[in-house]
Amino acid sequence: MPWQRLVYANDSQSQSSPASVLRGKGRRLNRTARRGALVAASAIAVWQAAAAAGAVNAFLLPSPLRVAEAALDLLGDGTLPLHVGISLGRVLAGFGFATLLAVPLAILLCLRPRLIRPVLPLIDLFRHIPPLAMIPLFILWLGIGETQKVAVILLAAFFPVFLATQGGISQVDRRLLEVAQVAGMTEAAQVWRILLPAALPSILVGLRLGFGYSWRALAGAELVAASSGLGWLIVNAEQLARSDIVLAGVLVIGMLGLILDALGTRLIVRLAPWAQAEITRAHA
Amino acid sequence: MLELRGVVRRYALSGRSIIALDGIDLSLAAGSFTAVVGRSGCGKTTLLRLIARLEQPDAGTLHWDGPTPPRAGYVFQEPRLMPWLSVARNVALTAAEADVADALAAVGLAGFADALPAQLSGGMAQRVAVARALAQRTGLILMDEPFGALDAFTRSQLQDDLVRLWQERQPAILFVTHDIEEACRLAERVIVLEAGRLVAEHRIDLPHPRDALDPEVQAARAAVLAALGQRPARSSSPSQHGVPACVP
Repeated sequence: MPWQRLVYANDSQSQSSPASVLRGKGRRLNRTARRGALVAASAIAVWQAAAAAGAVNAFLLPSPLRVAEAALDLLGDGTLPLHVGISLGRVLAGFGFATLLAVPLAILLCLRPRLIRPVLPLIDLFRHIPPLAMIPLFILWLGIGETQKVAVILLAAFFPVFLATQGGISQVDRRLLEVAQVAGMTEAAQVWRILLPAALPSILVGLRLGFGYSWRALAGAELVAASSGLGWLIVNAEQLARSDIVLAGVLVIGMLGLILDALGTRLIVRLAPWAQAEITRAHA
Repeated sequence: MLELRGVVRRYALSGRSIIALDGIDLSLAAGSFTAVVGRSGCGKTTLLRLIARLEQPDAGTLHWDGPTPPRAGYVFQEPRLMPWLSVARNVALTAAEADVADALAAVGLAGFADALPAQLSGGMAQRVAVARALAQRTGLILMDEPFGALDAFTRSQLQDDLVRLWQERQPAILFVTHDIEEACRLAERVIVLEAGRLVAEHRIDLPHPRDALDPEVQAARAAVLAALGQRPARSSSPSQHGVPACVP
């Protein structure tokens, strides 16, 4: 039957299936990860050699082995898991609240610009204020408890998520919405079934950036008026002149950020495979 | 089922007013197949968009049978599939789940229900768009140069499928194309737009399937070309048999 011939001819002519493209990208990422690990291992080896040769001050820059020993001690006595858990809880809370605020607000901005346009200058003003500069005010307003720390993280994560959502929705191909309009779909259904999925790649990139910003703001939030968390662990170690613990804490923050970002990216690609190109671009 | 009276549509362009449709009078009967031809920018797409209520006329009225305007299935120039949805979910987006399988089978894509749009060829994606319009089970299907971007072989296949589906289901079809041969192969009536005005209307009372090289189809083509002020580039013994010109 000519129709069947047409279908299979097209199939055979297709240069690569989406699965093979993904496999190809996966192989490329693995190769990149291997090269990255090699560079990191080389840097650590140079650092260790310099420390062993006495080329660097052992107090200012303890050797990798000493840092690893300090990290293992903290891991063994449960200190590190405790503070990692506390910090992670704060990041998730701040990031979660930021997402709950930023995504609906951005959608509202796009759907009802007249309603939200008057508050845009205020939003822009806060966008340019570093979250850490708000810590003194937050302490005055919210005290020195968890709320203040979560607020700092929320402020850090809010703008990347808000701007990415706003940008994503405003760039949705309006021709897709016309398909729904002709079919008589309600505005709410258009938002839920067309606008949000179409903007999802941008929103996910914003969430990824927002999570990174949250993680960065965490240390700042815990440096002041805190008695727990990785930021506090670092400050406390600095006061005790334990530069090995300071470095261990800093590296743990970096590595956790790296791992969570990689896990988040994998989750995003699994949930929204059509967003892969955008996610990869954001990574680059 | 649908009637347009004195419909006018203007656009503002760089401070100037451009008239896209200038007093269009047109009626569409239930189960009819009407093709709209004309040069680029003559108002063909605007006409469809007004009927689909994606735009409002600046003057004139639209009348329809029944208390509410008819819902239309719309096949756009490009497939406009949602890339995050499978073929079946794309069709179900604007139709009842129960009609999805039938519509996909009707366009020969029953085996591709779970495929994503990115996995389809251009012709297959356009078939999905046709299935989406069919699945809505509306009495009116608007098609805006739906096969314009396809290769000749796929286009011919889809034209045959469309005629078969129209004969089976009998929706009213308003089919915009700039390919006069396509219009003459498919439609029972061809209307000619020129600078936003309806300048000619031809009935083509020939049975389907029609061969593009059939002298009577060629004659219809010549008549439509004449209405557009052009001489046919390829025609064999033009005859007016079965092609009475109606409304200049």
